[in-house]
Parts: sequence; C-alpha cells; structure tokens
Amino acid sequence: MTMLNRKSLSLFLPGLAVLLLFHACSSDNGNGPSDSFDRQAMLRNYADNLIKPAYADLLGNTGSLRASVAAFNASPSTLELGALQTAWAAAYSSWQYANAYNFGPAGEEGLRKGLIEEIGTFPASKSKIEDAILSGQWNLQDFNRDARGFPAMEYLIFGENQNAAEVAGAYVTDANRRNYLAALADDLVDRVTEVSSAWNGPYYDAFIQNDGTDVGSSTSALYNEFVRSYEAIKNFKLGLPLGKRPGQTQTEPQLVEAYYSDASIPSLRIHFSAIEDIWYGRAKNGQDGIGFREYLESVEGGTALIASTETQLAAVKAALAAVPNQPGMSEQIAGDKTALENLYTELQKMTRFFKSDMSSLLGIAITFSSSDGD
Amino acid sequence: MKAGWELKPLRWLDEPVSIAPLVTLRVVVGAMLLFSTLRFMALGWVADHYISPSFHFKYFGFEWVEPLPAAGMYSVHLLLIAASCCVMLGLFYRLAAFVQFALFSYTELIDLTYYLNHYYFVSIVCALLIAVPANRAFSLDVLRNPSIRREQAPRWGIFIFQLQLGIVYFYAGLWKINTDWLLHALPLKIWVPANDRLPLIGVLFRQDWTPWLFSWAGMLYDVTIVFWLSWRRSRVWAYLTVVVFHTLTGLMFQIGVFPLVMVGATLVFFSNEWHERIWAGLGRVSSIPVPRLPIANRPASVGTGMAAGRTPRWLIALLALHFIFQVLFPWRYLLYPGNVFWTEEGYRFSWRVMLMEKAGTATFFVKDTRSGREGEVVNREFLNDHQEKQMAMQPDMILQFAHFLKNHYEQKGLHAPEIRAEVYATLNARPSRLLIDPKVDLGKIRDGWAHKTWILE
Repeated sequence: MTMLNRKSLSLFLPGLAVLLLFHACSSDNGNGPSDSFDRQAMLRNYADNLIKPAYADLLGNTGSLRASVAAFNASPSTLELGALQTAWAAAYSSWQYANAYNFGPAGEEGLRKGLIEEIGTFPASKSKIEDAILSGQWNLQDFNRDARGFPAMEYLIFGENQNAAEVAGAYVTDANRRNYLAALADDLVDRVTEVSSAWNGPYYDAFIQNDGTDVGSSTSALYNEFVRSYEAIKNFKLGLPLGKRPGQTQTEPQLVEAYYSDASIPSLRIHFSAIEDIWYGRAKNGQDGIGFREYLESVEGGTALIASTETQLAAVKAALAAVPNQPGMSEQIAGDKTALENLYTELQKMTRFFKSDMSSLLGIAITFSSSDGD
Repeated sequence: MKAGWELKPLRWLDEPVSIAPLVTLRVVVGAMLLFSTLRFMALGWVADHYISPSFHFKYFGFEWVEPLPAAGMYSVHLLLIAASCCVMLGLFYRLAAFVQFALFSYTELIDLTYYLNHYYFVSIVCALLIAVPANRAFSLDVLRNPSIRREQAPRWGIFIFQLQLGIVYFYAGLWKINTDWLLHALPLKIWVPANDRLPLIGVLFRQDWTPWLFSWAGMLYDVTIVFWLSWRRSRVWAYLTVVVFHTLTGLMFQIGVFPLVMVGATLVFFSNEWHERIWAGLGRVSSIPVPRLPIANRPASVGTGMAAGRTPRWLIALLALHFIFQVLFPWRYLLYPGNVFWTEEGYRFSWRVMLMEKAGTATFFVKDTRSGREGEVVNREFLNDHQEKQMAMQPDMILQFAHFLKNHYEQKGLHAPEIRAEVYATLNARPSRLLIDPKVDLGKIRDGWAHKTWILE
C-alpha cells in the first residue's frame, strides 16, 4: 500500500509542476483580454466625467431653483412663476443625469433612503402636501417622501388644472404655502449639497480605491444602481401609467412622471440618454471614456453581449424617437399609446442584457448573502 | 467462517480507538456554529433572510416549514447559540446536539433560495454528532458525572465523519470533470479576473493561464485530498494545502464561513495521538480541572462509549442507509434528460459546488382569463434581490413563484389567472437564451420528481 501511495504522490506533484510550467510557457505569447482591465480607470472615468459633473449641474440648478423660489415668494406674480417653472424644469432635467447614482453618499443610511427616493418619489401626494400647508406643520425628514423633493415642488408650482394666475394667486395670501415651498427648496439643496460635497471630498478617492467586484465594491454598487435606474424607466415611468401591472384594470395616465408640468416625455428621453451614457462610459458632452462596455470587451463572451446589447439599444432608440413630443405622455396614454407601448416592448427586450447577462459575464457580486463554497 | 468474514467490517468499526478526535470535532463544530450564528445575527441577516421577505421558497417535501414571527426567529438563533455552546463544552450533550441539529436545519429549510451545499454539510455533521459519544472526555458532562468518562470510543464514531468528508470532496471533484471546467476553464475564466485586485496574489489572477491552473488543480485537489489526508506520510502537507486552498477560495468568493468549516472538519483525519496531544496540552495549560486523556493508545481496558459489539444494530443500519443515500442521490441527475447545469434537475444535494456561473432574468405575466388583460410583475415587489437572483435561473423556483403569483392575484380579484414567464438565462458566459417555454401556464403545473417538460433545451 505505502509503495502505491508514495508512487501516487510522486506522480501527483511533478504532474502539477508540469502543468504549471506548461501554462507558464503558453502565457508568454498570450496577451489575452482577461489580462489587464483597469477597473480603477473605469471608476475614475465614471467619477470624473459622469457622476461629479452630474451632481455639479444638479447643485447649480437646484441653487437657481431656490433663488427663483425666493424671488417668487417675495412677489408671487405670474411673471416670477414663469421663471420659477423654468428653473424647476432645468433642475429636473439635470436630475435625470444624476438619478442613477444612489450609492455611497446618495445611498441608504439609517432612516435616510437613497437620494432618488428622498427627492424623486412620484406621484406626489396632493393630500399630504395640502394638509401640511393647511396645518402649517411639516417634517421633511419623515417617511412622507411623496410630499417633498422635485415632484412635490412641481405640484406646488404648476398646480392641477389651474392657470398661472390661479397658481400664483394662492401664494399671495397664504404664508404657509410660501414657507412650505421655500422649505422644500432648502431641503432639496441641502440633500444635493451633502452628496455633491462628499463626491468632491473623501468619497471620490474611496470610490476609486474600492476597485473589487465584491458586493460592497464600487463597481457592484454602480452596476446595481444602473440596472435599477434602467428598470425604473420601464416599470415605473412607462409600465405603471400604461397599466402594465397585474391587477391594474386600465391605463392610469395620471401616474406619469412630471404629470403637472407635462415634462414626462423630455424627462424620459434625458433619463434614457443618461443610461446610455453609463453603458458607454460617456460624458454628457459626448466625450467617450472607459465604461461597462469597455469592461465587457475584456471578458469571456463580452463581445457577443456587446453586439446584442447595442442592437437592442438601437431598437430602443428608434422606438423612443418614434414617440411624439406632443401631446404629453398622459394624453398619449389616454389616446393613442401605440408608440409608448412599442417603446415599452423594446425596453423589456433589453432588460436581460443589462440585468443578468452583464453581471454574470463580469463576475460582479450583486447580493450580500453567502454563496456556495468549494 | 463465512459469517465471520461478513462481520469483519462491522467488528473493525466497533473496535475501540481514542476518543480524542471526537472531542476535537465536537469543539470545532460547536465553535463554528456559534461563530456562524453570531455572524449571521451581527450582519442583520435574521431580518433580511427570514423576517422581511413576504414570500419564501419552499423545499420540495418541506412545504410545511414556515418562518416564525420576528421574536420567534431571534429566539431560534439565540437558542442555537446556546446549543452550540453546550455542544462545544460538552454540556447536556445529546440534547444540545439534537437541538443544534434541529434548529440549524430548521433555519435552512425556511427558504430554498438560501440553499448552500456547505449548510447542507453542516446539517449532516450536526446530525451525525448526535450519534457519537463525543462528551465522554474533556467535557462538562464528565465533570458533572465522572462515571461517564471514557478514553475510547468505537471506531465508527470518527469514521463516519471521515467518510462524509470523503464523499463531499470526491463528488465535488468528480463533477468538475466536464468540458467547460477542464477544457474551457469556465467559470473560473470569469471569476479569476474579477478578483485581480486581491493584495499580493492579485498579480497571479491577471495571468491568462491562472483559470486553467485553478481548474485543474481544483479538480485534482477535490478528487484526491481525502486520500492524501488519510495517508500518514502526506497528511501534514495535505492539511497545509487544505488551509491554503480554502483561504484562497475564501478570499476570492463570497462564501462566508465555509473555509472555516472545512479547515476545522478536516482535522478528523489526523491521528489519535495528534488529537490526544492537543487535549493533553490544553489540559495542562488550562487551570480548569479537566479530565485527563490518555497520552497514547492503550488497550481497551478502560472501555468505550459503547463497548465493542454493543453498538445498537438499528444505529448501524440507520448510518448505513444515510451513506447509501449520500452515495446514490447525487447520481439521480442521470434519470433526467438534458444538461443538469441547465435544467438543475438533480443538481442540489449532490455536492456540485461552484461549478457554474449562471444568471437569469425572469419576467412573469399574469393574465385575467375573463378580461384577457395581461400584466407584468415587478419581482422586487415580492422578493429580495437574493431571492430574485436565485429564482430567475432555477426552474423549480420559477414554478413556485408562479404559483404564489397565481394565489396572490386570485385573492386580489383576478379571474382564474394564467401565469407565464419569459426567462432568459446565461450559463458560463454563453449568450442568454430562453430557459422555459414562455407560453406554458405555470399555474397549471404541479412540481414533482418527474422531468419538467416545459424546460427548453
């Protein structure tokens, strides 16, 4: 027995050595793709050219929005209201470029939810907002996230089925209304400032240094939120008002994003191009950098996935282009919703490429639970 | 003569050997469960895994297992901590070992999406521990009642753990013998570059040949390690590779306490003398008056936990049945058509560990058969990320979720809902394709042992 064992051992170890040597030699001429993808360079590109500029824009525009609120509150005229509405629309557009990065300083922490839930929950609750104004009491840190942020401000400054004079008129006599609007603007600026400062401070380095693929890594966080943001377009911005959920017995046009300002379609277009930019690692100005696409180029099966993704990306863009700008989304849903239905279908076909194929090929861990050991 | 020859293996199994390895195992398993449970609670996983989800995936045949309300789930974990402490210290041992097994298995059986081979392994080890007299030395039970003290135990007591580990490793290696693993180095070609930022060894992970090296070394390691651990002359080196191998996988993958489990469990291959030296040494340095262990093997004069030949035959039969099951059950996949990686029919409970990189996206459609209106489910409304991820690539879980949706929407007033699912899965970096027939009404299908004809090849 021992003779045999010794023989096996003496076969096993040299065998392993030969294997090692064989591969060591073959690697000399192989400069394979899996060799050297630089995740730090990718993260730096995202931070420098996408995320930080998005928050900088957002911060600037929410600042202007707050200034417009102050000017309007000082003299609630239709003229000032017009300026305020324009400022809101500009800030909301820049939000579409920033709404996918709900991790790190914009992520959940204790009772605070992700930034998108804190300032982007729609539809706004008219009753909660009106109750707060009536009572003159509000708490912008509580669970009533549908009574603050962009959607609540939108309701307050666009009104429902009211003309500009009626909307502005309500502020002339009602101090609570003015104060609530001002409080919402302050809260918005505070929240965005907090996130933006973190990105301009210590979080920037931490983000780039944390370059693994485990569940707490920057790549995993960015990827997860990218997918979530993409799915939000399909499920919430389109699916819900189109009546796509089981149990909905009809379309619900009043559930569209930016219902009161009728900015649903432009918002959707901007949101989708922000998603596209994340895929490419492309700045808002079109300057291309290292992104998920380049990351995929470096892994097994990546080229095929890039091809399928971009074929479908083209189909989604065509469907999006076919959606008319006028009338607004809620009217289209109530009337001829063909183009929106078609867009929904194309978005659905895209989901698997982003959601499961990409994380599987890149080996990114997406959930906390332990997996099988070996 | 013939009967004597037949009983020889049984006699060998009943032979008295040192009890020390069993003491080590008792302490190691108790400590490991204690650590694992504390970790689980500290990570907030009791709430995440058992309390928050509104829906749990059931194990086939264990549909009756339900989670308790929050207070109950925390109590179960606290009791598990108490039981594992008792097992470790050898206090009220049989009862503690039984409670440890029952509670740990209960928590595992609550939700199928948390199935892990190493939890299955821990469950089995806990069950086997109930059967062995591991508290008859170096334990609080002996302090309470010195008359139960033994220096020896029948050989089967330690052999069953060696055999169990042998089965786990051997099958884990055997299933690695496939073209994806050995010839294409998949899925390691995906996993290795994803870990190239590990300190020191990261540079190794950036080499093209590393996935092949790891694939072949992993396969050879799993198939042969028990052999090297059993053989006295290679044992120390083999154990060193156990430590290195499991540390490496522990660094690479999100596998929790598994490396600890294996590094602890493989100690059962060390010699009786080794275990005795450990405990004698500990006995000397500790101030507690612990019962002494024999320093070397002595004749069976002191007696065993169960004296030779007196091991109940029903226990032997039960253990034999267990091991027959362990050996045969992993082969059931042969009874199903198709690739077991794709269909996962016969995949679980077979020691197929870290064999594939698979992921899916599952979209469920619920149709009111009266109005004809069909809606699309947002899975996140009912499942956490982990549950959704696991469900989206495993047909039996897809079926369970479909049944849940049918009930849920029936209660919400939909008329005889029809449930379809469009599921795309990717396996080992291949382009994703349809996993199941997207036209079939899953609400009408019952799960069972039979082949699922609605899985697409």
